[in-house]
Amino acid sequence: MFKVYGKMFLKTFFIQSLWNFERLQNIGFLFVLKPFLDKVYLNPDRRKEALMRHTGFFNTHPYMANIIIAITANAEKEIAAKEAAAEKLPDTNFIKSVMAGPLAAIGDSFFWGTLRPFTAFLSIFFVILFSKVLDPSYSWIVPFIFLFTYNCVHIPARYWFLSISFKLDKEMLAVVPKLEIKFLGDMARYTGFLLVIASLVFYFKIFGFSAVHTNFLTPAIPDAFVFGIVLVVSIIFGRMSATFMFYSVVLLCVLMSYLGL
Amino acid sequence: MIIESTVIFAIIAALCSADVTAFGQFMICRPIFCAPLFGYLMGDINTGLWIGMIVEMVWINAIPLGTAVPIDIASISINATFWACKYYPSIHEAAICALLFSIPFAYFYKEIDINGRNLNIGIMRWVEKGIREGKEHRINTGIFVSLFLFILRAFVFYLIVMFLGGVIFQLIYLQMPAFVIAGLKKAWYLLPILGFGSVIYNFKNIRIPFIKR
Repeated sequence: MFKVYGKMFLKTFFIQSLWNFERLQNIGFLFVLKPFLDKVYLNPDRRKEALMRHTGFFNTHPYMANIIIAITANAEKEIAAKEAAAEKLPDTNFIKSVMAGPLAAIGDSFFWGTLRPFTAFLSIFFVILFSKVLDPSYSWIVPFIFLFTYNCVHIPARYWFLSISFKLDKEMLAVVPKLEIKFLGDMARYTGFLLVIASLVFYFKIFGFSAVHTNFLTPAIPDAFVFGIVLVVSIIFGRMSATFMFYSVVLLCVLMSYLGL
Repeated sequence: MIIESTVIFAIIAALCSADVTAFGQFMICRPIFCAPLFGYLMGDINTGLWIGMIVEMVWINAIPLGTAVPIDIASISINATFWACKYYPSIHEAAICALLFSIPFAYFYKEIDINGRNLNIGIMRWVEKGIREGKEHRINTGIFVSLFLFILRAFVFYLIVMFLGGVIFQLIYLQMPAFVIAGLKKAWYLLPILGFGSVIYNFKNIRIPFIKR
């Protein structure tokens, strides 16, 4: 069975390969579950029934899906063990649909909304440092800092979600709220925000008060003055499209050059 | 330059793009990783790092939540780094110009991605029909065909955009008036500030741990 779990874990990386607008991750889910169904359903007709059960709509966060996969696999094992149709069988689709939404919210908030920005901010902090303070010949380390810090949380978390959910089954749903994901998320967001502020301070110090780079207005006025205005405006108009803001800033720079500032 | 061939760069770009949804989500598709990667392969990692930093921060809220398909920021950073490092290495103005050019292509790639996901509906139905007929192997086939088509789509897109887009970018950049070039040089220093503003806006409602509200 250990071989089957290993196979399932490797297959979880393909869960979104056949993502489609009609039923989203349904075939991806089936792809991960198939080695387990092959093992527990030796009768091809019953296996076909089981496979057909999972062709319906399914969507959750790709990392958190491992919890649902393991719990569904346990339910399928229970169904496979019961021969008579009259026996009370677990409703796997109900289990899937009930869990998908809340787990997607946790995954989106923690992995997409917190861990990814945190690791990106850490790398950005080093980009600023390598631009002047540290030796730029070692700047190749920056993308690896990002990839390493993200994946040293992501890959073990994915493995743990799958293995522990196989052991705990539905009790895992009671464990998830106790994981203090919200606290960890708050900590990471707060630390990430501090890194951004530190990066901003370094940026102002390196580029804002130096005459060697560029002069936005006159040499008498430091660039930090223009930086400050753009920073405040970009925070105020933060709701606007990033693309629009990007082109606006470039246009502003071209306009300043045209006016001879 | 370590690798000269655009074909090889297009393959690497397609593999990075597959990480967005199709395989893994190891974050090799993020600008802060793929832009320096391309910069390193083309012998100018610092331009790649700066482009990656700008794109990562400015489009910080471009997240694929639910069925939403956001702008493909991986293609912005990859194309911009490729053009800037290939035609005008270490020239900041050219890097910003490359960024300006790469954004419309990112919207175009988003449309390609949406069409690909619609195409997947057909593959999904083919798999479902196969299961009904007892052809279980179609599950594996469907997944790998879909993944292959994703990578193929991305490869063709990058190959055309890197080559043709690069030629057009090179010609247009040479025709730009001096004041525009000077403006782009200013933007090199000002765009990270826009990125910081975008990050602060998106993280302004932060809760301080240990202090309960």
